[in-house]
Amino acid sequence: MKDFLRQNGILLLVIALLLSILIGIVSVALGGRADPLSDLVNTVTAPVKGGVSAAADWLESVYGYVFHYGEIEDELAELRAQVGKLQEEVRKGEEAIRENEQLRELLKFQARRRELTTEPAKVTGRSTSNWESTLTLSKGTSAGIEAGDCVITEMGVLVGVVSETGLNWSTVSTVINTDTEMGGIIMRTYSAGVLEGDFALMNQGRLKLNYLPEEAQLVSGDEVLTSGRGEVFPSGLVVGRVEGVFTDPSGQTRYAVVEPSVALDSLIEVFVIKDFEIVE
Amino acid sequence: MTRRDLIQKWAVYGLGLVPIWLLDACILPRYPLWGVVPMLLPLAAAAVAVLEGASAGTGFGLAVGLLWELAYPGGFGGLVLYMALAGMAMGAVSQYALSQSFLGCLICAGGALGLLELLRMARMLFINAAGLSELLQVAVPEFLWSLAWTPLVWLLFRAVYNRVGGTKLA
Repeated sequence: MKDFLRQNGILLLVIALLLSILIGIVSVALGGRADPLSDLVNTVTAPVKGGVSAAADWLESVYGYVFHYGEIEDELAELRAQVGKLQEEVRKGEEAIRENEQLRELLKFQARRRELTTEPAKVTGRSTSNWESTLTLSKGTSAGIEAGDCVITEMGVLVGVVSETGLNWSTVSTVINTDTEMGGIIMRTYSAGVLEGDFALMNQGRLKLNYLPEEAQLVSGDEVLTSGRGEVFPSGLVVGRVEGVFTDPSGQTRYAVVEPSVALDSLIEVFVIKDFEIVE
Repeated sequence: MTRRDLIQKWAVYGLGLVPIWLLDACILPRYPLWGVVPMLLPLAAAAVAVLEGASAGTGFGLAVGLLWELAYPGGFGGLVLYMALAGMAMGAVSQYALSQSFLGCLICAGGALGLLELLRMARMLFINAAGLSELLQVAVPEFLWSLAWTPLVWLLFRAVYNRVGGTKLA
């Protein structure tokens, strides 16, 4: 055995062991920041990934145009009808906002504000492992992105949270990933809970709203938003809709299974919330 | 074999790894089969270890492990040592027990992938992340779908071996 190892790369094994220890220590020490070697490799390969991603997006759009033209036309007609309805709702909403502002002024309440500083970024990569759900973005620390920043779609739907950053890339842990943990609230009833990723649900593209109050009356289809508790993440970001309510095996607490509103498989562009100020 | 020949040989093997990495990191994750994405990097390490033996298998395994840790998200270093050890073991098994054939590569790749899945499952069970049946639902399809890519990876590295492998450049 000794001779075999001597002839067959014991030195390489020692190097591998040292590299493993070094990468492990640096990863733990730097937390959300990528270690210098990973940063270098990903900075160099990011343009390649971006190029492949852009080419694949283009090919998919051509394929969709050629083979699903009828479906696209139907969707367009449906969207036009929806736009008409939404414009009507916007008009009503604007009236309500004006009334609300006047009442707040009368009652000397602080004016409601919702300011999000966002950075647009392209999705250049998707989970390469079946054991986690992540996305790779085209921007990183050079654009002011930091670990812990929330990522949303153009519609304000939560995509996930930045988990690792490099110079021109960042990794997003999606809402369904097992490390997700943030405050959630049911919009209809204002019942609060904790949004958590679950391994079994992740593979079905779902997550949990845990620790629901006993009196919470949830129904399938209820909209779930971020609660903003702890002020780490902005409040009011759309997470998804309740699919069903269950009691955990211990029989002590109830949880809801939430279907995210974001289509993680088809995301092309997202917005990273670098800073936010919300006054309710 | 001169030092120049050696560098040239491993540069060609390195180039062979590029399309595998592009497929693995950029293309296949976009098109999962029933939600499953294959792992191609252990297959590349298996193919080279079977073709070149234990010593070269260790070195190539180390390089593959390093690529896996550095170019993919969430690395903690363990894959560098695992792939180097797997490369050595696969090279030794093919040298002394199996042959330098596709079947040998398939068996070695199956072993490396299977052990990796077992280690991942053990870790998830240890941290109480999920039950065994849930973990098997991920590990088994991943293992089978990854193994299905062995012919492609084998053909690629077999072509590289035919051109520069062994001591052909000498």
